[in-house]
Amino acid sequence: MRIIKSVIPFACMLLLAACSSRPTAVPTAFAELSDSATIFPDYSDVTIPPNIAPLNIRVSDEGATEFVVEIGDVVAGATADGKTDIDSTAWRQLLEQNRGKDIAVHVYAHRPAGWVRFSPYTLHVAEEPIDGFLAYRLIEPGYELYRQLGLYQRNLTNFDEAVIYENNRTFTDKDNHCINCHNFQNYSTDHMLFHVRASHGGTVIVNGSEAHKIAIKHDSIIAAGVYPSWHPTLPLVAFSTNKTGQVFHMYHEEKIEVLDVKSDLLLYDVERNSVSHIIRSGNYLETFPCWAPDGKRLYFCRALLPFDENVENLEGVTAMHYDSLFYDIYSMSFDPDTRTFGELRLEVDASSQGHSTSVPRISPDGRYLLYTQGDYGQFHIWHNSADLWVKALSPLPEESTAKAVSSAEPAPALEGEGGGEALYPLTEANSAKAESYHSWSSNGRWIAFASRRIDAAYSRVFIAYFDKHGHAHKAFLLPQRDPDYNTVLLKSYNVPELTKDAVQISTGKLNHIVYDTEAELASYEE
Amino acid sequence: MKQIPFNNRHSRVLAYALLFALAWAWASWWMGDLFRIAYENSFLAADSTIMHFLWQKPFGSLWIAGRALLLLYRWPLLGGFVVALLLVAATWLIGYCLRLRPRWRWLSLLPVSAWMVWTAWPGLNLYFESEPGRTLGILFLGVDVCAVDAFIIWTFKSKSSHYQHHDLASATVGTWVAAAVTLVVCFAVPVAITHFRHPYARPLTRMQVQMLDDDWNGMIQTAHDNASLSYRPLAAYYAIALVHTGRLADDMFDIRLDFDSLYIKNYSGEPDIGSNYYIIDCDYAAGLFRAAEHKAIERLTMDGPSLATLKHLTRLALLDHNWALARKYLSIIGRAPFEGTFVERYSAMLDNPERVAADPEFALLRQTEPVTDSFESFYEAPVFLGYNCVLLAGRTATALQHSLMSNLYSKRMPAFLERCQPLVGTTPQKSIAEGLVTQASKNPAIMQAFPQLKMTAQMYSGFLGNVSAELKDRPRYARQLFDSYKGYYPYYYFFGNLKATRKSSTQEHASSNVGVN
Repeated sequence: MRIIKSVIPFACMLLLAACSSRPTAVPTAFAELSDSATIFPDYSDVTIPPNIAPLNIRVSDEGATEFVVEIGDVVAGATADGKTDIDSTAWRQLLEQNRGKDIAVHVYAHRPAGWVRFSPYTLHVAEEPIDGFLAYRLIEPGYELYRQLGLYQRNLTNFDEAVIYENNRTFTDKDNHCINCHNFQNYSTDHMLFHVRASHGGTVIVNGSEAHKIAIKHDSIIAAGVYPSWHPTLPLVAFSTNKTGQVFHMYHEEKIEVLDVKSDLLLYDVERNSVSHIIRSGNYLETFPCWAPDGKRLYFCRALLPFDENVENLEGVTAMHYDSLFYDIYSMSFDPDTRTFGELRLEVDASSQGHSTSVPRISPDGRYLLYTQGDYGQFHIWHNSADLWVKALSPLPEESTAKAVSSAEPAPALEGEGGGEALYPLTEANSAKAESYHSWSSNGRWIAFASRRIDAAYSRVFIAYFDKHGHAHKAFLLPQRDPDYNTVLLKSYNVPELTKDAVQISTGKLNHIVYDTEAELASYEE
Repeated sequence: MKQIPFNNRHSRVLAYALLFALAWAWASWWMGDLFRIAYENSFLAADSTIMHFLWQKPFGSLWIAGRALLLLYRWPLLGGFVVALLLVAATWLIGYCLRLRPRWRWLSLLPVSAWMVWTAWPGLNLYFESEPGRTLGILFLGVDVCAVDAFIIWTFKSKSSHYQHHDLASATVGTWVAAAVTLVVCFAVPVAITHFRHPYARPLTRMQVQMLDDDWNGMIQTAHDNASLSYRPLAAYYAIALVHTGRLADDMFDIRLDFDSLYIKNYSGEPDIGSNYYIIDCDYAAGLFRAAEHKAIERLTMDGPSLATLKHLTRLALLDHNWALARKYLSIIGRAPFEGTFVERYSAMLDNPERVAADPEFALLRQTEPVTDSFESFYEAPVFLGYNCVLLAGRTATALQHSLMSNLYSKRMPAFLERCQPLVGTTPQKSIAEGLVTQASKNPAIMQAFPQLKMTAQMYSGFLGNVSAELKDRPRYARQLFDSYKGYYPYYYFFGNLKATRKSSTQEHASSNVGVN
């Protein structure tokens, strides 16, 4: 009997899936409700790009057997599971016709007593499109081990997801490798890179549809290159080089601390295959380099170790001080002709406020520094306190962006804890959970970032409109054909990076480069 | 040679019925618990996103077919029934396809026997750190190939090549004997492999099945029934059952704790001590929920989703009051057939902290949850022992008891004595009292603090007198003395768990990083 009882729901689900059909017309008779519909993802009152894929939703209403979602003049029906599958062509036309306008969304549910209509919500369609592609890594949300993981590229105008590179699908010591830290030059896929760790290790440098593998290794370098930033115009990459470890909480709201015990900054010359130090410090930890859009300034995070770097058991001592590591954001000018760096300049003094920053990213117009701020440390994707913050940058005379900045609207009023500077959280885009690893769109109007706001465990990509006044709008979840996709996906999205075009190199070629070629050792220059 | 009429339909039916009965017994009674736990370590749902990890593997669709068959092992009798049918079908089809003459028909049993041997050989690696759908997937493929082959033969057969039932009349006594011997060997070999190569596999999986039913006393009984077996996973699940029944300080040393080698391999195919087999369950039972989640996520990463991992993660999310995450895992588990009971039980706790608090299991385990934060790496592995050995502050007296027992088990007597301070003026539980008297000669203050242990001390003196000769060669006499002194801590103190204290006694222990644990 128990067997039969267990099988029946499964069989019913299959039968339902096979037999039911979605309603196709808006009900003519219905009762009006003042409540809002319960929808997932929460797309109510969000600002969306005019070229985004359909925002399918799942409507939940106990007892309802059918649903209709009326988005402008587009109608999407749903069966009892409440999941819509919006017609892509009609959706595209709808958004095109409503650029810069609002679209009302009405949700209807067919309850036993008849149809009801919930209070509507609005989709604000922005004038400015988002870049067409988003690259990310998919990996389980933990910890030290890895198995099947890959770099993927999503076409944001539809639901196509292409594989950039996937690691070995089955476990063998010989081939087991991790991949991480993909990065593109100036929103283009003409030049990109990613790292391969463990077997077949190295950094894969992609030049259009060709690639090669290099290794950064030298006695004076802490480890291989880690967090990268392509110079926007020159064949240069700024890397951090980090000695990193993870420790696992026993009884804490957070689960993991990812800690650097040493880190420096490197400059890698792609054409010459040479590497040199940008900063080589002792008691300081530098990480997360990021070039300004004009390539004349390098931003990065920096923390002072709260103890001597030569202390015995550095890893253990660092772990004990995990909540005393505060990173500030600094910058240094860069002369592209001489390839030399200027003096350090403190950009965001978070440590004095008992906070810590990570992942500085400069808007394409050079006006805003977007970063993550949390209570401590730098691997903020594991910190609930982590939020997106912005610093409105003062235009600098030597920067080429000065013109663009001078013609722009004034920076926001002073807020937050900036101590006289224009530092403020992107409250509309933030949540109570971790936000981190953000990237700008090439037109500066959109930011894509990873957030654990749905369940505090699996990071998902959210997209937020960043308006001309320097404020973000409510963020929305990367749309999927199946609104439950994110519910069943047991992997996290890492490092979402927007690009204007699709990756050109084939997966097969990258496989060949990773598996069949030796990494060329970069020469070290003092 | 005397001929025995074998073309008789009843004889054939009888022969296949006997084969079926033996196959069913093997697949459900003998191997049923192993396959049942394989089912828990597997996952199958009609969802391409969830199953992507498996689908994209080489032979992924075959493993999915194997996992589909494994679903039937939700009820081992049913699973065994279907596997037995497949084995009988394979035997008949092989005989049909190979056009075997009657006297050689017993040969058709050999491929089936080979599959059974191949299934029994890996023991716990039937599912642990390997693909759980593999063996049944291969069986499914084999039967399919034979069926297609037989269909082709049947379609294009000529009358003269008809499967020669009528020739069965020529079967001799020799044929019958060969068939009988083959049948016995066919089942005896895989049974022997499980029994002699993996003697821990059946009791261990029995205990795990009992754990799924919250049958803690059943687990203890199974462990006692197999007390002379000594393997880490057995000891681990025994300790879990003792935690749930509050008998840790009374019965922990009732089984042998010397830890013979397991035939278990890791993902790379290298020999392994198998701590990953039980560590999530142990961390969870020790109230170390963060550590359990850490290991469960690692298991999820390495194996993909399995029911066991997803169920752990669900419970841990509920204990964390992370309703969204628990809902996610329940939603995934709910996509698998036959898991309605689990989903129903834990769905009722969503958004309801009172129900979580009222759950007896959760309430019990919360008693030993840490009170302060630290990091896993600060403790010796495995952390459920390493943490408890150095525990300084606990939530309840149960936490202190776990700490005392961890130190007794690890023979860390100074740490044990330090933690006995709060017990002064009370009557310590059996093993703790026995632990105290072992140290009395080195520390007379113990008997002053615990004068009520005079009888225990006298028993200890008697024990020392009885084993004075054996103490000179402990490894030699340890096994011999176990039956006389099982459950007695001083025996364990002197004769138990000796291997781990030897300097690199085996490669296994040299690499285990566990010391006395």
